[in-house]
Order: sequence, then structure tokens, then C-alpha cells
Amino acid sequence: MQPEKPFNYFVGINSLDEIATKDSKVVVMNILGNESRNVTPVSHEYSGGNIVAGVQYGRKGKLETKAGDIPVYSRLAEVVKNHYFDTSVIYLPPDAVFHAVTELCHYNSENLKKIIIITEKLSVKDQRLIRAIAQANEIDVFGANCLGVADSWNHVRIGGALGGDRPEETLLKGSIAIHSNSGNFSTTIAEYLKTAGFGTSTIISSGKDVIIQFAVPEFLYAAQNDERTKAVTLYVEPGGYYEQQALEMIESGKLKFDKPIIACVTGRWKSNLTRACGHAGALAGEGDDALAKEKWFDDYFGVPVFNPDEPEKVSTKGVRVASIQHIPLAVKAVFDKIGEKPDFEPVGNLGLKPWFSNDFNLNLPLTLQIPVVEALPPYNKEIEAINKQVGATYLRENMRNKSGASRINRSTFVAELHGMPIIELIEFPYESNILFSLTKMHPEKEKLKFVNFILNYFAKPDEQEIHAIQTAKQNGAIPNEALIAAISLKGSMNELSVIQDYTGKLITLFSEIQLRDLYSEIDYDQLEAAANNMFDTKDKEKPEVVNFLTSEIEACFKKSNILDFAVRYNSKNKVKNQTAFLFAAILLDFSYKSLVLKKITKQTAIELIEYITIIAKSAVLSSNYLFSNSYLKKLFEQKDFALLQSSFTKTAYVALFNEEPNEDALVEFKALLALTLTNGPGTLSAKGAKESVSARNHISTAFVGYLSNTGLAHGGSGYEAIEFLLDSFKDVKIKDPNLTNDKINLKEISKKVAVDYLEYKNNAKLKGELNYKRIPCINHPVFKGKRVNIDPREDFIRKYLISHGINNLFWDFYHELVHSLYEVGVSPNVYCVNIDAVIAVISLKLMWNSYKAGKLSESDLQNIGFIIFLLGRTVGVSAEIIDHRSRGTDMDCRTPQSETKFIS
Amino acid sequence: MQITGMKYGKQILDTAKFPTPMILDADATLEEVEQLMSKEGKCVVKPVFYGGVGKKGKAGLVKIVDSPIEAMAAKRKLYFAQHLFHDRVIQANGVTFEEFIPASYEIYFNLHVSTKTRKVNFTLTHHGGVDIEELEPGEIYEGTFDPITGLKTYHIIDALTEINAPREIISPLAQHLPKLWNLYNDFGFMMLEINPIRLKNEKGKLITYACDFKAQFDRDNHQWQRLNLPMEIFQTDMSQFEEEINQLRTYRGQSDVVVINPYGTVTAFMFGGGANSAATETLGKKATISSDFGGNPPYDKMYEIAKIVYKHWLKQSNVLLIIGGKANNTDIFVTFKAMFDALKEYVAQNGKPNIYVVVGRGGPNLIRGMGYARDILDSLSISYKFFGYDSSMVEVVQYAKDIDDWMDEIKNQTVKA
Repeated sequence: MQPEKPFNYFVGINSLDEIATKDSKVVVMNILGNESRNVTPVSHEYSGGNIVAGVQYGRKGKLETKAGDIPVYSRLAEVVKNHYFDTSVIYLPPDAVFHAVTELCHYNSENLKKIIIITEKLSVKDQRLIRAIAQANEIDVFGANCLGVADSWNHVRIGGALGGDRPEETLLKGSIAIHSNSGNFSTTIAEYLKTAGFGTSTIISSGKDVIIQFAVPEFLYAAQNDERTKAVTLYVEPGGYYEQQALEMIESGKLKFDKPIIACVTGRWKSNLTRACGHAGALAGEGDDALAKEKWFDDYFGVPVFNPDEPEKVSTKGVRVASIQHIPLAVKAVFDKIGEKPDFEPVGNLGLKPWFSNDFNLNLPLTLQIPVVEALPPYNKEIEAINKQVGATYLRENMRNKSGASRINRSTFVAELHGMPIIELIEFPYESNILFSLTKMHPEKEKLKFVNFILNYFAKPDEQEIHAIQTAKQNGAIPNEALIAAISLKGSMNELSVIQDYTGKLITLFSEIQLRDLYSEIDYDQLEAAANNMFDTKDKEKPEVVNFLTSEIEACFKKSNILDFAVRYNSKNKVKNQTAFLFAAILLDFSYKSLVLKKITKQTAIELIEYITIIAKSAVLSSNYLFSNSYLKKLFEQKDFALLQSSFTKTAYVALFNEEPNEDALVEFKALLALTLTNGPGTLSAKGAKESVSARNHISTAFVGYLSNTGLAHGGSGYEAIEFLLDSFKDVKIKDPNLTNDKINLKEISKKVAVDYLEYKNNAKLKGELNYKRIPCINHPVFKGKRVNIDPREDFIRKYLISHGINNLFWDFYHELVHSLYEVGVSPNVYCVNIDAVIAVISLKLMWNSYKAGKLSESDLQNIGFIIFLLGRTVGVSAEIIDHRSRGTDMDCRTPQSETKFIS
Repeated sequence: MQITGMKYGKQILDTAKFPTPMILDADATLEEVEQLMSKEGKCVVKPVFYGGVGKKGKAGLVKIVDSPIEAMAAKRKLYFAQHLFHDRVIQANGVTFEEFIPASYEIYFNLHVSTKTRKVNFTLTHHGGVDIEELEPGEIYEGTFDPITGLKTYHIIDALTEINAPREIISPLAQHLPKLWNLYNDFGFMMLEINPIRLKNEKGKLITYACDFKAQFDRDNHQWQRLNLPMEIFQTDMSQFEEEINQLRTYRGQSDVVVINPYGTVTAFMFGGGANSAATETLGKKATISSDFGGNPPYDKMYEIAKIVYKHWLKQSNVLLIIGGKANNTDIFVTFKAMFDALKEYVAQNGKPNIYVVVGRGGPNLIRGMGYARDILDSLSISYKFFGYDSSMVEVVQYAKDIDDWMDEIKNQTVKA
């Protein structure tokens, strides 16, 4: 015979220990929904397999768990035929919840005792109807908008995710029962209680909708009858009179309750809100706001809010705390008052303990400088593990028409590579931009000599490559086609595997010691001991290149601990294949910071040498002067190691123009190469590479994909501009296009060109030719409409070069021309000189002297213009290949059938 | 989601065929007002406030006038009238001209969800037209009824009888008041109040008129949308920021925000209703916003939320705070990835903000999430401290406040220098 309950409504629960028991047989509605799919298996495993079935409307199957599979039925009617259950958990969307309650009552009112509703944003109307129907069927309801119930003694949780994915960590057996309006605080308070040595008996996440189905009066009644519970903790938010009702019932003697209550009321600030923020029911009227609730409790306890400095000022009835952090101390104080002991030794404390911190040299006051502490287990091990992880890890996705490397900025219309506008990349030498493209970071200036060394070293063509490229050229191949012939021989680039193997091992070595700063102190002996297990040593020969690199590294002003270790270790132990070992160390020095900052994957760092080799070889294999140019010959002999440290921009220049550049030419050349790096992932060139990656080809073949997607159509307007300029200047003698030559009247030339063009255009129109030739590289669909228009990209580069004292006659001519075109009436306003003109005028200027000397034909000019494009784009495309290899999926570049069309 | 006044009240009450006086909009002509006054020679002019604004009468914002000219003068006076309600100054947005109803009786009627009974309660008194708090207990009836069958005629008769209401008012009220239950139950109301219902003696019969209207809708019950009320009447108390976030409101994951101080310097992502309450209280006026993004929001939603938060608040903030307890079901990696991906995007477009990031969090995939955040902040050179759930949440918020104070101090010194 159950005692008569003091309520004028149905309450089935007599004691908290009945709420979540091993005997509860549970059915979960919407068991395969997003949330349940993750939470239910943890609950099932923690509770010893108490879920007998699930319902997923319209589907059948099972939910796999470590405690056995849970059968899933398509409707409840089938469940009741096969299973007994007394508890149901509802994870359905809000509009379906009331229907499910009705369904549960319809099919199982005889056995059903409890319904736990996890769903949030249930309407108040549905809540009150659920209450009505549950009351009529004598069913206890918990929620909605709650995380369910848990019992730390019974090792059972029912409903939501109390205790998260590790309930055993939080739900320690003890003497405190928790009733919390906040699901999160249900767990957080349990965690906090551990710091004062208290565990929990039953935890109820009540939800905080307007109607709380299992509210404080029922909770206190059941807590009183629960022998395990010595005190209760309430977390209370504004809105609702549940707490007042309970306290009045106690004081009037209607509800017998003699255990202490530790109550935390928050939300004073909410009194001015006119709509809920956070919990729907935490919107108070005038009588049930936070202040009112504080007073209810303070009056009941007879003592003011808990002061941690005066723990004795608590009552045997309990005390109110101002914040949840005071709960453990308050519970301890109340236990002292009633002569009870904590459940176990305190675990940890609530003081500030940063697990991760970086102040970046901020001069924080001492009081704010809190040192990082080791996290509590098992998080300390997890932190240790992630600290050892270097390199980015990406979720793989369809990367068709997407790129994490390049884009066209929608507001500036400037192409960007790794977030940097290409017009800013013009300031960097070619070699620096190559590394930037591959590692997302420019190398330090002090390291450029090593970058150049490696590029020049690996640029050396071998006989097979030379044969392939010569054969292709003899057969009429244009530059990209000739390069394809050579690069398609490379396959998986086995010859680089030793370097890659060493790179991978060095990454492991340094990530194990959690190296993050390349210039921090390291324990050499510890590293050496670890390295001895990784590398074969006692190499007999010591190649000259090793001697050179060793001395260069030792002399390097900014010697990283990677380089320092490599040189010391090799000098002492003589690693087998010392050259490859030192190259690997140098390459890792280039990429390690990017790895630490998770900018590139570990795989990319290992494969770095493949990209570098292909880029370097592409630059020289395009040359027509491989055997005739003395500089290149000397470079490829690889005897003068100091020469190998020369700028690779210079190498590319010499290979292209068969002459050594002056300083101005180098500045212009590097700018030119930077400008062609990328034009976003939608370009044919990028797509060629990405599609090849998507088919899971080797890196070299991805470059072939890119090269086969380029052709003379690329840089078309640039070549047309060169043709146009040659025609415009055919009768003009130019000594040096860099000099401002007073004898050349650009205004006059441009006027003549404009007048001639007007005549041509008018004649063409008279003849009805609408497709008449346009003047290349002027006007732009965006930078137009003003009286005088400027393409800001072109303007930026022009000013940059002028600031370096570099002029360009052809460029100046273009600017005169756009004014002349306006003045003679060709254009309605002064058109801009667009970014394509930049490539044309710089290219022409660089080739001018050779062209005038008869060393280059017009056809050569076209070829060189195209090769310049290839030099830049090969580097930019490398970034796309890396990006797609790191993030894309197999076959992700396919065009869906639905997007294809048959044209008859 | 509240509305007051007869401008929309009449439209709603017409749906239930509950009698109302004639109401004209602010753009009514002199002739139309004249016609409205033809019966009683008087007219009531009231300012229109969007949202739940009460006590206009007490504030002297309701004018009873005797001529159309006076009505127009009152319109000019009240059209942009300001009203101090709680701690907010609210401005009117027009007026209504309402037919004057001379009354023999004024009735107060209210339907609301009661947390005491966990049902819908109704409150009724024939001593209406005043604040009901001023009435004696015996003068007012509060009761409930079966939530399935609803409010019936006999409930009204019993209630009025119990408070000794004059017999002559029982029949007209018993006839009309149950209609309000149908309205309440079918159109997503949380609260519906008419004060006063005026009973006018017309040829010996008492005729019922609802003369003022107040309602609160349940935003989680879409039935209110069937009333076809213009959305802007609910958006007046929302800032642009709140509106943008509100677009993302779905049942998966919370996305509740309130602007606390438009000039605040700590912008906080709060996870969970508890954290929302505790952190907002601790931050006080330093907080730009109060928020609750708990409930395991999916990546896309969290990413969009973060983008909007940064767009509105990051520039002015000293501290970006991410605060929550030990999450039960919110995936920390997913939410952190979304917030920090959005931060990376913000920095790419707007440059690095001068902020310090403070995190206090626990829950599934915690270290993976923190590790991801750390890597991004390291790459952006933004300072940070991350605390686990073993540090007191309130202490973490207090630490964020202290950082904010220090950064303010530095800024002030820079300005002075």
C-alpha cells in the first residue's frame, strides 16, 4: 500500500530510486534521428541494455550498440506486439510529440509508467495537452526540452545525454539529488559536487518550458522517500511558481520534507525581457522573477544567501547560493551543520586552470597571467596526443568547382592564393612564392638560399626528360605539350622516395617531442636516442654537397632546431644517404611551421619535394637554350654549390630569355610570374589538375592534367596586346623601353592609333561587321562608367614598379591611348587599362631588345608569352593539386548526368 | 510575441466573432471620424504601440474627445507619443480612433497558462477597467477547466455567480466569453486579455464590446500565423542582429539572442540555458549580447550564427567568450569548428580584430574542439585561454571581465598618449 500523496493531481513516483532503474524497459521514439542515434547507444551501454526497442516511422532495422543491437520498428503497434515496456523516450520533432504521446497511451496505457520528452520548442498547447492525457492515463512525464533522468546508484540513465558521452565520469554514487532547469547544469553541478566529495543519487533534468511536468513539489516528495538522498540541489530559473508551491506545501505540513535544500536561483537580469532568451519558460511575470524566487528560498531557509567566507551561516533546511560554483561549498557547510560526512574524498577543485593558452607576448598584468596546467585525466592524454599531431586534417568533401587554395575576391576582383591577393605577391621572388604556394607560408628571408639551392639542384634535367622534350618539340609540340612529354615520364617519382621517407621520419621525431617553435631549446640527447631507432647510420661516403650544406647550415643566422639537429646528428652518426637526409631536414624546415599551424597536411609536407621538383624542372625544360647557355650549363654541372644558391627567379629568367637579368628586369619578371599564379579554381588549368587528382592519379600526372588543359588560348588577349603594340610602334625607334624618351611623343602616337581605329571601326560598322577587332586590354566590366576609369589592380602594380624606378614605355602608351580614344570619340569615357595589359607590356618590354636585335621572331614572342604564363600558373596549380589531394574525394569532379546535355 | 490595442485586436476578435466597437486607422478622414462619433458624440483616440505595452491609460495616453477636430488634434499629439514601460522608452507608431462605448459594466477577462495549475486558467471580474491587482480577493474569480473540453458556458456562469456578479450581465457574457477560448486554443495564444469588456445598454439589452486587447503568442506554436498579422508588429523590439539570428531558429539547436548593451565589449557565445543565465548575470553591462546556442546545433547553423555575431559585434569587442558547462549532447568539435572557421573567414575579410579569446567548456569531443580552436587562433596570432569544465564557469566569466577591464585600460592609455 503506497502512502497517500499530497497532490491533487497524479504523481506515480514515490521515491527517487524508482525513476531510473535497471528494471525500466524503454522504447525510444525516433531512435534513428540525428540526436538519438548518437546518444541512445551510450545510454543503452551505460544502463546495461535497458532499451528494448525503438521506433522510426516508416523504417525497420536496428541500432547497433556495444550492449547489443536494439531492434527498430516502423510503428509502435509492432513494438507492443513483441515487447513489454514501461518507459518511453521521445526524440521526435516538436509537432510530432503530442501525437506520439497519444500513440503511446493508445497502445500501451496498461504498462506505460513514464514518458521522457527530449524535444525542445514544443508548443505550450501541446505541453498542456500532453499533461492532460498523461494525467488521465496515470503516467509521469519528464521534460520536454530536458535531458532525461539518471541514477548514479543504479547506473542507469534514461532519455537524453546526462553525463555526456562519458556518463560514468560524472555520475558518481552519492547522497545528493539534483533537480535542474538546465540540462547542462544537471551534469555541471554533478561535476562541481565532486570537488567537495559529493556524489549523486538521482539527477533530473526538468526542462524549463512554461509547463514543467515533473516539478519541484513532486521531486521533493520523492526525495524525501529516497533513503539514499541526504540533501537536494535545485537549479532554478525565473518563471513559474513551482518552487513557491513546494515550499508552501512543506511549511503548511502538507508535504513532509526534512532534508536540506541547496538552491541556486539565477536570472535577475531577465526581469526586463519581453521574450524568452534561453529556456522558453524562463520568462517571468512580476511575481515569479529571480528576485521573487530568491526571497521564497531565503524566507524558507531563514538565512541569507550563502557566503563562502562564512560557511557556518547556513540552516539545517539548507541555503541559497548565488552561483553554481558555490554549490559544493554550500553542500559541505550544510552537511557539517547536520552532522553528515561527504561521500568520498574531494576530487579536484574549481579554481581557474587553463588547459591551453597563448598570450602572444601580451604584457598581461601578473594577476591575469595564469600558467597552463595539466588537464585532468583522460583529457591530459588527449591533449598530449593532439600536441603530437602535426598537420591539418580535413573532412573530405566534393571539391568540384571548389578550392581551399584560390578564389577571386568578390569585392576587389583580385585573384587570391591562400588568402593573399596576387597583386601583393608581386613583391616576392619566384622562389618565395613557390614555397608559399606549397606551404601557405613564405619562407624566412634567411632561408631563401636553401630554397634556391633545392630548386636549382632539382631543376637539373635528366637525359630521358631532355629526349622527351626534344622529340616533342621536333614534332611541333607547343611549350605545354613538350612539358607533358617530359613530366608524364615521372610516375610516382620513385627517385625521391628516400627524401620523402626521411621527411616522414623527421616529422614523427619532432612531433613526438611536441616541437611547436622552431627556435626553442630542445633536448638533443633525447632526440638522438629516438633518432637512433629510426635511421640507418654509418654511411661511408660523405658527398661534397653534404659538406657544403652542413657548413651553410652551421653558418646560417637563423638556424632552426630541425636544421641544427640534422647537421649535428649527421655529423656524428653519418646517416645512410646523407644528402637525402639533409635535403629532408631542409624541406621540413620549410614546412614545419605550416604543419604546426595546421595549414598543410603531413602528407603534403612529405610530398613537398615532388612538387618542388616538377616546378623546378618545368621552368628549365621550357628553355630553348638548355645546352647553349653557359649559366645554365654551369648550374647543372652542380659543382659550384654557391651558384646553386642563386635566385631561382634568375634561373627561370635565363632559361627563358637566354640572358642574365639586371635588377629591374628581375623585379618586373617576378611581378609577371606572380600575376599569372592563379585566376581562381574555375580556370581550365586548375580544373585540369583537379580532375586528374579526382581520378586518383600521381602528383606528376595531375600536373600533366593541368598542362593538357592549357594552350595558346591562354594569355590570348596578352598576345593580341603584344601584336597590337608591335603594330602601333612599327615605325617608332625605341632605344630602351625603360627610359622616358623625350623624342618619342606617346601622345601623338596614341592619337594616331585612336584616329585610325575610329576610322576602322566606322568602316566595319558601315559594312555591317559587328565582330570587328577590339583594342585588347582596355575597359573592364566592373571598373567602368566613371569619367576616368582605373583598374585598381593595374594601378597598384604600376605604382609599385614606378616606386622602384621602373618605367615602361608601352604601359605609358596604353594610358595615353585610353585618353585619346575618349577624345576622338571611340569611347564614351576614359576606359581603364586592365590587368591583362600589365602582362603584355611587361613581357614586351623584357623581350624588346632581343626582338629588335632579331634574336626573337614574332612567333617566339608568342611562345615566350605563353611560357611566362606557364611558369606562374604551374606554381599556382600546385596549390590546387595539394588542396584537392588533401580535401577532395575520388571522382568528385564528375559532372552529374542531370547537368549534361545531348546536342543533335 | 505580444500585441496590445485594438488595431490588431479587432482583427483577431472578428475572427472569433466577438463583438467590438468600430475602429478606424490613423489615416481615417475627418468625415469617417465624424461618422464614428455619430452615435455617442465621443471618440477614444489611442496611440498604437507595437509589442506588449501596457498602462497607457495611466500614463495619460488615451484621449476621449468630443469632436472630430479634437480627435485630429489628439492624433497629432499621440501619433509619435513616447511611453516609459518597464525601463524602456517606447515610441508610438500611429493612432486608432475607437467608437466610444458608454458602459453600465466593465468586465475584465483573461486566459493564460498557469504554472500553479499547469493548465489554462481564466480570470474574470465585473470590476474591470482597473488594475486587477487592486481588487479584493472576493471580487475576482480565477479558475481552471478541463484542457481537453475547454471553457464552457457553465464555467462562466459559475464564476460570475461565485463573485456575486449582477444577474443581468451573466447571460451576455456566458454567450460570448467561451468564443475567446476557441480563439485562444486554435491560434497559438499563451495569454489573451480583454480589459475592459464594456456592456452597453441598448434598448434594454446589454450588448458586449471588447474595448481593449492584449495577447501573448507562443512562438513555438505556428497556429498564430493563421491570423495573418503583419510580421513587423512582432519585430519592433528586435534589433537587426536579433532579427538575423532569429531567421535561423529551428527546433535543432537553440539560437536565442538578446542585445544587452550595444556598446558592450565582451561578446559571448553561451551554451545552455544555465550558462546563459549565469554568464549574462556575471557580465552585466559588459556583455554585448546574451545568447543560448546549446542543444547541439549542427555545423551549418552554428557557422551562420557565428558569422552574424562577428559581423555585428567583433569590431567593438575586447573579449570573445565561449562559455558553457560540461555539455551533454552538444558536440564541442562541431560547434568550435563552426565558430572558428567563421572567425577565420571574418579575419580574411576584415583583418585581425583586437580581441582576447576566453573559453570555458566541457563535453563530447572537447579536446578535439579546443585543439582545432587553438590552431586557428595560433595561425591568426590572436591571444587566448581555454579552461576545461573543471574551472568554475563563473570564475571563467569573471576572468573574461578582468581581461576586458585590462584591455579597456590599455585603450584609454593609448588614447591619452
